[in-house]
Amino acid sequence: MTEPHSNPLNLVLMGGSSGSFVIFEQIVKLATKPLSCAVIFIIHRGKSSLANLPYLFKGKTTVKMEEPQHLDPIKNDCIYFAIPDYHLLVGPDERFYLDDTEKDFFSRPSINATFISAAQSGINIRAAMLFSGASQDGAAGLKLIAERGFATYVQNPDFAEMPRMTAEALSQYNGHHILNRENIFEEIRSVLYST
Amino acid sequence: MVLLEYQELELLITRVREISGFDFSGYARPSLLRRASRYLAKHTMNLSELYVHIEQGGKAVYDFIQELTVNYSEMFRDADFFIALRSEVLAYLASYPAIRLWVAGCASGEEAFSLAILLKEAGLFERSLIYGTDLSERVLASAREGVFGLGHMRTFSENYMLAEGKRSLSDYYHVAYNQAVIDATLRKNIVFSLHDLTGDGVFNEFQMVSCRNVMIYFNLEQRQKVFKLLYESLGMFGFLCLGKRETLRYSGFEENFRIINAHLNIYQKIK
Repeated sequence: MTEPHSNPLNLVLMGGSSGSFVIFEQIVKLATKPLSCAVIFIIHRGKSSLANLPYLFKGKTTVKMEEPQHLDPIKNDCIYFAIPDYHLLVGPDERFYLDDTEKDFFSRPSINATFISAAQSGINIRAAMLFSGASQDGAAGLKLIAERGFATYVQNPDFAEMPRMTAEALSQYNGHHILNRENIFEEIRSVLYST
Repeated sequence: MVLLEYQELELLITRVREISGFDFSGYARPSLLRRASRYLAKHTMNLSELYVHIEQGGKAVYDFIQELTVNYSEMFRDADFFIALRSEVLAYLASYPAIRLWVAGCASGEEAFSLAILLKEAGLFERSLIYGTDLSERVLASAREGVFGLGHMRTFSENYMLAEGKRSLSDYYHVAYNQAVIDATLRKNIVFSLHDLTGDGVFNEFQMVSCRNVMIYFNLEQRQKVFKLLYESLGMFGFLCLGKRETLRYSGFEENFRIINAHLNIYQKIK
């Protein structure tokens, strides 16, 4: 008799800042059935933010949501939200690591910190995406992920509430897929449920 | 930006151990990788140059270790933690004729000074002794002087107000040469000394140990060893205070403590 093997871990990384919250809520709503990936959201928040995103988004998805703690294992079929005031790193042992080194672009959590650690972890990244924001965070991390051969997406700056973040990502690397207003959520849904 | 890879990091850890004796093997690798990469960026070095730097030993390797291990802190960081201490812990500590507290991983003393102020305002400071320990002699020297840049004091004052401090933070320091110097009366009951949580053992018995935002430095195995050390350093019914995002999960000591405040990770040793 063979042991049933669990599905390998796949990461879908989503980063955003000002103007991204509404998009994140829409993406959470797309998760209507079990996911063969772990979705990790990094949104810039002040250190005193008390918003508990799994609680705020409760009822919008049937998929489990968590704010991971240090050393929590990363699992498929779960949606994770980075907590305020710590960087959320992805370890090669498929665990989360919290880190409180200095901020990147005035942000902790920083999108770059998570993206770069995921790219270095050796874990498969199904996709990484960057959305609206007013800083340059995320661009370097997204570029690294693209250079390592994983799929990367940016929201078209023309319809981002704050275009700077995605424009910066495109200026650093022009090979990212563009998510346009007409089909953004269809594309993301197909990424979430691709195999 | 120069990015290190895990294999390179392991070689670096080995070389640092050979040259300095300092062992990073129990430290969380993803954080070390990030810190080491940032060190290279900050000093505009590549990996080969870093090796040459480390080979010098002495101050050079010590600087590298220091930058990878330094714990950033603020006075009254997480104001609600101090509010909870005041309401849920101090009354218990007041029952002791002599109160010993340990701030493990104290960096430049911000938390030790915050606790001193809290105890002073509760009328307990005169019979308290606070041990602040860190593995870096450099940050300890700074802690002993009790000197902070004025720029930091603004954040510290805001934190103090949020923590429902009873006076003004400026009552506890004076300004000299454009820097804030913590009053000597607060410093007299604080002992700052070297201690490495990954290698050194129990050195006293405490009624309270505060080890906030330190556990995130360690990997799973080392974290369990450090928890054992903290557990053994606490007297029965002593309090263990962890960072806002650090629980007893994966510690191996979940059953030995009761939860005083689940949100702020304050625990009491019960067996």
